Amino acid sequence: MIRTIIHISFLRLWHNKAELLLTFIVPILFFSIFAWIFGSRGSNGATPQLKVVACDEVNSNVTARTIELLEASGSLRFHLGEASKSASPKTVSRDVAESLVRRGLVSAAIVFIASPAASNENATESLAPAQQSLQTQTPAVEVMADSFDQVASQVIVAFVQKASMTAQAEKAQEDAAESLRSQQQASQNRQFNDLKFNDVNRAQAIATADRIDPTANAIAISPSLQSAVSAGPLASLAPPNIMVVDVLGTNKSNPIVAMYAAGIAVMFLLFSATTASGAILEERENSTLERLLCSRMTMDHLLMGKWCYLVLIGCLQTTLMFTAGALFFGLNLWGHFDGFAVMTVVTAGAAASFALMMAAMCKTRTQLGWVSTILILSMSALGGSMVPRYLMSETIQSVGQLTFNAWALDGYNKIFWRELPLTELTRELGVLVTCSFVFIVLARIFAMRWDRA
Amino acid sequence: MSRRLVSSSVDWPAIILTSQASLSRLVSRLRYPMRTIFTRKSTTVFDQHQDDSGHQNTLSSQLTSTTTHQPMALELTNVRRSFGKTQALRGISLQVESGQRLALLGPNGAGKTTLVRAICGRLRIDEGEITLFGKSVSKASTLDELGVVPQDLAIYSDLTTIENLRAFGRLHGLSGKSLSTRVDWALEWIGLADRKHHLTKSFSGGMKRRVNIACGVLHRPKVLVLDEPTVGVDPQSRHRIFEMLGELSATGTTIVLTTHHLDEAQSQCDRIVIIDHGQVIADGGISDLIDHTIGSERQVYLRIEGFLTASIPNLEWDPSRELFVAAINDPAEELPGLLHRIRTCGGNVVDIEMHQPNLHDVFIHLTGRELRE
Repeated sequence: MIRTIIHISFLRLWHNKAELLLTFIVPILFFSIFAWIFGSRGSNGATPQLKVVACDEVNSNVTARTIELLEASGSLRFHLGEASKSASPKTVSRDVAESLVRRGLVSAAIVFIASPAASNENATESLAPAQQSLQTQTPAVEVMADSFDQVASQVIVAFVQKASMTAQAEKAQEDAAESLRSQQQASQNRQFNDLKFNDVNRAQAIATADRIDPTANAIAISPSLQSAVSAGPLASLAPPNIMVVDVLGTNKSNPIVAMYAAGIAVMFLLFSATTASGAILEERENSTLERLLCSRMTMDHLLMGKWCYLVLIGCLQTTLMFTAGALFFGLNLWGHFDGFAVMTVVTAGAAASFALMMAAMCKTRTQLGWVSTILILSMSALGGSMVPRYLMSETIQSVGQLTFNAWALDGYNKIFWRELPLTELTRELGVLVTCSFVFIVLARIFAMRWDRA
Repeated sequence: MSRRLVSSSVDWPAIILTSQASLSRLVSRLRYPMRTIFTRKSTTVFDQHQDDSGHQNTLSSQLTSTTTHQPMALELTNVRRSFGKTQALRGISLQVESGQRLALLGPNGAGKTTLVRAICGRLRIDEGEITLFGKSVSKASTLDELGVVPQDLAIYSDLTTIENLRAFGRLHGLSGKSLSTRVDWALEWIGLADRKHHLTKSFSGGMKRRVNIACGVLHRPKVLVLDEPTVGVDPQSRHRIFEMLGELSATGTTIVLTTHHLDEAQSQCDRIVIIDHGQVIADGGISDLIDHTIGSERQVYLRIEGFLTASIPNLEWDPSRELFVAAINDPAEELPGLLHRIRTCGGNVVDIEMHQPNLHDVFIHLTGRELRE
């Protein structure tokens, strides 16, 4: 009996091509998609370039050199802000830098500020002059970070530290060499002055001076410098004083909720819309569609009616979700309700159009279920609903722009995370409205097969 | 969206009172309750000929109506439609008078559903014309004249009875008081007033069928097209459904239905149209069809013991049933003589079975016994 059941089950599986596909092909497909999305990050060993902007309030050689080194590292891409691309150095003012971070155009702003050590004379007066000089070259750095990207600030701090130390070392070497040269010159001058009164030994003295060991002269001339030079220039280097300032997340009661609410909302908006749009296929299968179209209703009425319903349901669903976020997790919904309302209507509209297009494309509800699940999961993965896009490679991030999830998430993030005004949402709203229009037109074209045959 | 919304302003009570056809049919039904009733005088002409595929004999009919002044409720003229190389409809012509009940019969794949969809305006025809009261069915103005009851249960099973009725009523342009009135009427009509707030998915097949029909007639269509309205229901429900259709017919509604229940078609419809291979092969009342195909003679099957010493005229051996068979017109007149002759020839009749020719015989005679799709 058990063998018969197994046999029947295998036969049914063999005859049900959709189930066969689901069992053996879809897992491989999903694995491939996710491997491509997340695996490509490490395939070339390259970390995606982080967009940063620099602000140099010190304007010293060390800070300029530090910026040069950061640019040369290849891991950071400097944003020019309002400045021309040919502008050099590529720095902006503090306000511009902060604005760029707030608008999400850069992951962080590196602000070189006057070192506290430079202003604290008591702390440096005990040091030798050369050490004092080096100490004053140590910059203080403020990294204005966007904690939406929780990795970027740490990476940037490491890069800044490395570049700053390198710049300081280079500067220290240059200063030490210069100091030695000047001390040596001074020593030689004194010796020549002494020899001027000893005509007998002048020639011998000149010959002796030519053979002077510079180090011996330096020790003799400047004992304080001796210790500094003998220990090498790096002995006097200090790591830069780096402060990380979260310009966006500090004033939020629960920044994590603000970040992920949009991602989950958009994904579920798509799932619920496609599930609901499957009703049209059910209506076609049981001839209700035929009956509807025999009434005063046209296919245009039907699609628009369903679109409006899906938009309303989508808005309601998203509002409920964000309300729950506001009630239980401290999400500031009411403070951003205007942006939320606009963004939700437009996103729900795009999701409804997408769902109707999928339904009109598919032949059966089962087919719709599978195709839409694969597409939505892929779009959500690429668009950042599952994993933040900043963790993806630049290529995948670019591909992600083809999904409307990415645009919807950007829009919601601008509202809740960056707290930008509605005018900053023009691009996102434009893309979503266009998606909505294109999808519904495609849905109508596909639905022509249900029109009068 | 492009369809023009047309409001129905038909005075139905007036139609009910003035419909001569309906009244005459009612009178006729009282006189001949189990027979096909014609409200018009029909002259049916059958021409036997080979169709273009050489498949089988077809019968074409020409009906001459006595009431041809008004436009026909439904008129099909040389309707043709092909799907690829398959000719689904091959020049079908029909005229259905107002108030008539027409049964559309045919084997599977004959073209019935295609024809029904064409009548409902859901299928473009390659050639010919279909009109409803003189107006092409492709025009939006005919939508309110037509009621459609699909073969499938085209209702929302997750809505209650009253919700379904209201929804389909609105789709046909009813609203406000008229909608409420019609919904109340429909609930009484289908006998589900006490179940109006129950989800239709909890109903039996017969109840769902009744709701299915009610959704198609809420807007008082002049022509009601039903695709196998009684499929899969028990005899009681079927009886009730035909009672309901009879009530509609009594109000002057023209009914066109497809069915595989030939006994229903025979007993409930005025006119039978049999189509096969996309063509009308028979059209007329049941008696006309019988007369012109297999003849109206009754078949008398006899089980005889003993040997017949001589042949008896009109008595033949039917090897398929292993019985003797005789064809007689008047059993009362002819049967005693036949039995006497058998006895005279040494035979002893132990069993007699009489078969009256019916639509089933006509149908098999015309469409053959070969299995279809």
